[in-house]
Formats: sequence, structure tokens, C-alpha cells
Amino acid sequence: MAKVLPFVGLLSLAVTVYGLIPSTYITGADKDRLKSVFQSAAPYADSQSAHFSILGLKLLGEAAPNAQDACKTLSKVVENKVASIYHASEAAKVLGSCKITVPEFKQTLTDAIKDDSSVQDIAFAFLALKNLGLLVDDAAVSKSLMAALKTDDSPASHGYAFLAAAQLKGDVSKFVDNIEDVVAQADEVDEKYLQFDGGLYVTALVVDGAYKLAEKNNKAPTIAQDKVLKFANYFLSRKHVHQLKSAYYFLCVVKSLTTNKFHIPIAVSLASPVAVTQADPAVKVRVTDLMGGSLGDLTVTADSARHLGDDAVVISKKQFTVAPSDKSLYELNFLQAKPAKGFYKLTINIAPKQANSKLLGTAGAEASVKVTTQVSVENVEVGVADKDQATAARTTRLVHPNKAASILEADYHQKIVMKFQLKDKAGGQLMTAHQTFVRLTNQDTKQEIIFVTESDSTLTNKFDLDVGANAKDFGHKSGKYTMELIVGDAVIENPFSWTVADVSLTFPEGAAVKKDQANQYAKKPEIQHKFNQPEKRPPASLSLAFTALVLSPFLILLVLWLRIGVNISNFPMSLSAIGFHVCLGGVFVLYYFYWIQLNMFQTLRYLGILAIPTFFFGNRLLSSIASKSAKKN
Amino acid sequence: MSEKLTTVISKFYDEYMASTPKKLKIIDAYLTYVLLTGVLQFVYCCLVGTFPFNSFLSGFISTVGSFVLAVCLRLQSNPQNKSEFTGISPERSFADFIFAHVVLHLVVINFIG
Repeated sequence: MAKVLPFVGLLSLAVTVYGLIPSTYITGADKDRLKSVFQSAAPYADSQSAHFSILGLKLLGEAAPNAQDACKTLSKVVENKVASIYHASEAAKVLGSCKITVPEFKQTLTDAIKDDSSVQDIAFAFLALKNLGLLVDDAAVSKSLMAALKTDDSPASHGYAFLAAAQLKGDVSKFVDNIEDVVAQADEVDEKYLQFDGGLYVTALVVDGAYKLAEKNNKAPTIAQDKVLKFANYFLSRKHVHQLKSAYYFLCVVKSLTTNKFHIPIAVSLASPVAVTQADPAVKVRVTDLMGGSLGDLTVTADSARHLGDDAVVISKKQFTVAPSDKSLYELNFLQAKPAKGFYKLTINIAPKQANSKLLGTAGAEASVKVTTQVSVENVEVGVADKDQATAARTTRLVHPNKAASILEADYHQKIVMKFQLKDKAGGQLMTAHQTFVRLTNQDTKQEIIFVTESDSTLTNKFDLDVGANAKDFGHKSGKYTMELIVGDAVIENPFSWTVADVSLTFPEGAAVKKDQANQYAKKPEIQHKFNQPEKRPPASLSLAFTALVLSPFLILLVLWLRIGVNISNFPMSLSAIGFHVCLGGVFVLYYFYWIQLNMFQTLRYLGILAIPTFFFGNRLLSSIASKSAKKN
Repeated sequence: MSEKLTTVISKFYDEYMASTPKKLKIIDAYLTYVLLTGVLQFVYCCLVGTFPFNSFLSGFISTVGSFVLAVCLRLQSNPQNKSEFTGISPERSFADFIFAHVVLHLVVINFIG
């Protein structure tokens, strides 16, 4: 039992690897693009861009333009800061005879190596000291790095620590042990990509650092193979990077993944068009490392080719042949097996001729291809039949691509019928197409109406146009129409549009009132708001009579007051009495105007103004009356 | 019976004319006027309909409000009720009456439409 377990483990690993093999690599065009990213960084504004640009170009195998000038710029832009010195020292190292040593740099760098610095600073300081050929206390660096990692254990910090540890003398096993933990923090996307928070730059830094450290430790890093492939997929999905820093780390990690001693992911990319045709029956795949480099002599086998529609396997264990022109290009004549048209998924296995355990993704690479075919149209019959089927249809046989000699004439008691079959030219069997349309174009107005034809169980396509019933679609427009047959499909190489015949259609008259197409955008009638209809009013005379009637009690009031004997002459002719009555009258006049034209706010403002004298006069008048009556008593 | 009723009424009338102060008579005349106006408005509404409903309502509210205010004025002005309203002179109650009218008719005019 114990013996079986590792085998089961291996099997499950092989299964998870399926579909993970990178299907692209860094092509020449990608390299050119990256090169332009690096070149556009010049002239360098700071030592960081100089570092990334010069080293990036070197990784691409390009020389830095004008090393002398670059060195001069470098010594100009370098600042007395850890990061700046580090970047400058890296660039200077690559440029060769370029010295940027300044006396105070050593102090700055040595000071940075302490327990409470950031991981990045310690790593940069250490690497800079190394680059400048200065003395470093490796044990102190190792201790400080471990201490700093305790306070900040983000993936990026670990990435810098790996880079530094790869250069450290002495025991680095503690850093090596971290690799597994850090990799476990990566997030998986779509079960195909692995990445860290922070994106391409952090992910590249960590993976690159891990491999550099492993190289020094001379032991494969503890990253599972499927994870390596997922990282590789992620990197390649970001190969269109335009940011200098990310581009540099991206290139670094891809280089690491092609040159390290432990894991070399294979990229299997389709080098021929997806469509496999009779004229070009070969499926070509390019098997390379991630940079597009050759992997030596390989045996490339098509494990299977599965039809995506019906799961039929058409190829099994068939070997690709090496292309004579290019050793990383492999060919297979796909059509030898006479596959039916459609989409296929090709599963590809790769075996190196000399055993090479470094290669990852030797089984289960996938490529999608489609087999296309030529189609011919057969047994075409077109004619006019009576609607009630009383008489047999008069049909004419046609041969593609000829047009019917005579004009078909049909009125609204008849229908136009057409039958045809599509035949696969290669196999000779009948087939259906994804799109089969009949288009009728009015020869005068160029108005088009398109109908779909349907195929029955015998794979015969039928088109049946009831002229009377479809009159509305034609806008009751009688006249000559051109009838075309349109056939197309993703797996048909020769889609066609064939003018079958001219037809003359007669529609019933009268119902010809139709909407003009152009009118759809014409001005619509204006929308009128409808107010509530006022209720019926009583006759004006009645209202007036009642108005008089309602006012009449006022006369009664006057009469009563006269009989009681109101003493009007007792009216005090003082200023306050007149002012009070005038103001009170003014208030009611104001109310009248409020009714007629003013709004509430205006009214309240005026009322406020009027209220002051009214109150004043009223108060004086009434108090004088009160005092008078008090005197009387 | 009817004779008795007429004697009661005439006696009541005489009593009223003799013992009621002139001020109260003026207010009573005003009350009669307001009451009649309100009754006529209501009759119109019953006969013809409430069509400009807010107009009818504001008119009717105006009469009802005026009537209530005038009754209040009469109560406060009546010398018999003096013990009830100590500290409120007839002039003070008249000023209240005027002020209440100003507010009432602002609302009425606002509502008349």
C-alpha cells in the first residue's frame, strides 16, 4: 500500500497539470516591445531607471547604448540614499569600467544594516556593498534580515530577502525554508494563474528570488510543479507590460525560469493557423522554453485529438515530425486521419530524447484547431406552387452558380418554394450549415427582406415563402425582387452568396398603407397636456341673483343698526381713529389684491408693514376710549 | 295657545329692547346679518351645487368664523359677565376681535382661489 501512494500522488499531479502548460512564449515581437520600453527610459532621470533599463537590455542580449555616457549620467543622478546607490551600483557593474564610489556611500550603506531597517533597505545596502567591492559582515546582514522579516513578512519583503540571501555567505537555510511559506500565500486565479498581491512586480520578484536562492543552495525550491506552471502562465499573460520596473523584473523571472537548474517550464504554442484546410493540412506547434529558446531534441506526440462536439477521438499517439527549417517547430499532418469538420482539442505530450527532469509540463499541453471544409450546394429546386397544393409545384432545377433563366412569377395566392442540399466536398456526405439565409431584394427600392431556411431530418434545406401571408413584411410592394441564397459557417471555407433567380411578386392592393421606414425618425406629434375639464357652471343670472341675495343681509344690518340708533356722530375725529380705520381698510384692500394678483410672501411682507401703524393707532384709539369711559364712571 | 306664544314673544322683545345695552344690540344685529349671509350661502350650495368648492368653503368659513368671533365679543362685552372676564376691558376684547378677523380673513382669502 505504501508503495502505491507515491504513484497515486504522481498521477493526481499529472491530472492537475492538464491545461496549465503555457501556450505562448516571448516572441521576437514581444522582445522588440520590451526593448523599446527599456530604451525609452533614457536619458535616465534617476539611478533606478538606469538600473532597470541597462540590465533589461542586457537580459535581452542588447548592449546598453553608449556605456561611457551612461556611466557619466549615472554618477550625476546617484544620490546618497540606499536605494539610489544600490540601483547605481547594479548598473555600473553591468556597464563594466564604471566607478561611482563616493566616500560617504560606505557609511550610508553600513548604517542601513541594522535590525530596525526595512527588509528592502537591508537587502539593497548589502547588495550595493557587494557590488562596490566593499567589506560586509554577512552574519550581521543575515541577522538583521531575519529581524526585519519578523516585523514585515509581506511577499515583497521576502522577495528582497531571497535576492540578498542568494549572495550571502554562510548558512541561508532559514531563508530557503521561507520559500514554501511565501509561495503558499499566492492567490490563484481561474485555476490557471498564481499571483501575489501587488501584481507582476511582486510576483516576479518573489519567484526570481526563490530560484536565485535555490541556485545558490543547490537544491530545487519547494514549489510544486503545477504552481511553477501557474506562475509561468501568469507571467506570460502579462507580457505586454509597459512599466519599466515591472518589465525588468518580468524579464528577470522569465530568464530565471529558462536558465535555472531545477524547473524549466515548456511552452507549447500553435504555430499554424487554427483552421486546418486541405491546402494546409499540417498542424504546427512550437515547443520552446518561455523565452522561445530551443529545448534540444524532443519527441512530440499528439496524445489525442478530440472533437469538441461529439467527443470522437480522431488521433491517438501520433508523433509530430521536426520541421527541417526550425528545430523547435514540430508538424503533424492532421488530415491524414480524415477527421470530420469541426473543432478539435489536441493534447500534446513531450518527451526529451535525453532524459531531462528539469522540464515541466511534458504531458497535457493543449491546442485548439478546427478542420474546415469546402461545401457544395446540390439538388437545388426552385419554383412556384399554389397555396392550396391543388396542383403540383412547377419547379426548375438549378446548378450553382448559375441563375434561373426565367423570372419566377408569384401572386398572393401562391408560394415560392426552394429546396437544396449542402454537401461536404471532402467527405461527400450531406451537412448543415450554421447560417443559411434567403435574401429578397427589391430591384427598385433596394429594400431587403431576409428569411431563414430550415433543414429537415434528411438534411434537406427548405424554403417556403407564402406570398400572401408575408405581404406585410414586403410592405405590400409588388415588383421584381432578386432572390439570393447565403450560406456560411465557421468550418466552411467557401461561404457563398448566390443569386438564384429573379422573382416577380404580386401582393394584394388596398392594404398598402404602411409605415414609411424613414418615418421612424420623423417628428412625433407634440404631446398636449390635458387639463381637467371644468364642471358645468350654473347660469350666470342665477349666480348673480344669489350674489345680490347674499349681500342683501348687509342692508338688514344697516336697517337694524339705524333702528337701534347707532351714534355715528360720536366718531372721535382724532388722528389715531382715522389712521386706525384707514389702516384696517388697507389690510382688507391688501387681502383683495392678494386674491387678485399677489402671492403669499408679498402679501405677508406688506401685511407686516401695515400691521405696525394699525397696531399703533388701534392701541392709542382704544386706550383713549377706555380712559374716557373710565372718566365717565 | 298661539295667543300665549305671541304674548311671550312680545314680552321677550320688550324686555330685550328695554334692558339690553345698546352695544350688545349692535352686536346682535351684526350676528343676525352674518347668520343670514351664511344661511343664504348654504341655500345656494344646496340648490346649485358646490362647484367652486374652495370658494364656497372659504365664504362659509368666513361667515361661521365671523359669527363665532362676534359671539365671543358679545360674551366679553356683556356687563352681566363682567365677573367672568375681570381684567378684560371691552376695548381689549374689541382689539382681539379685530386681530382675530385679520388673521381669519388672511386664511379665507388664501383659500378662496
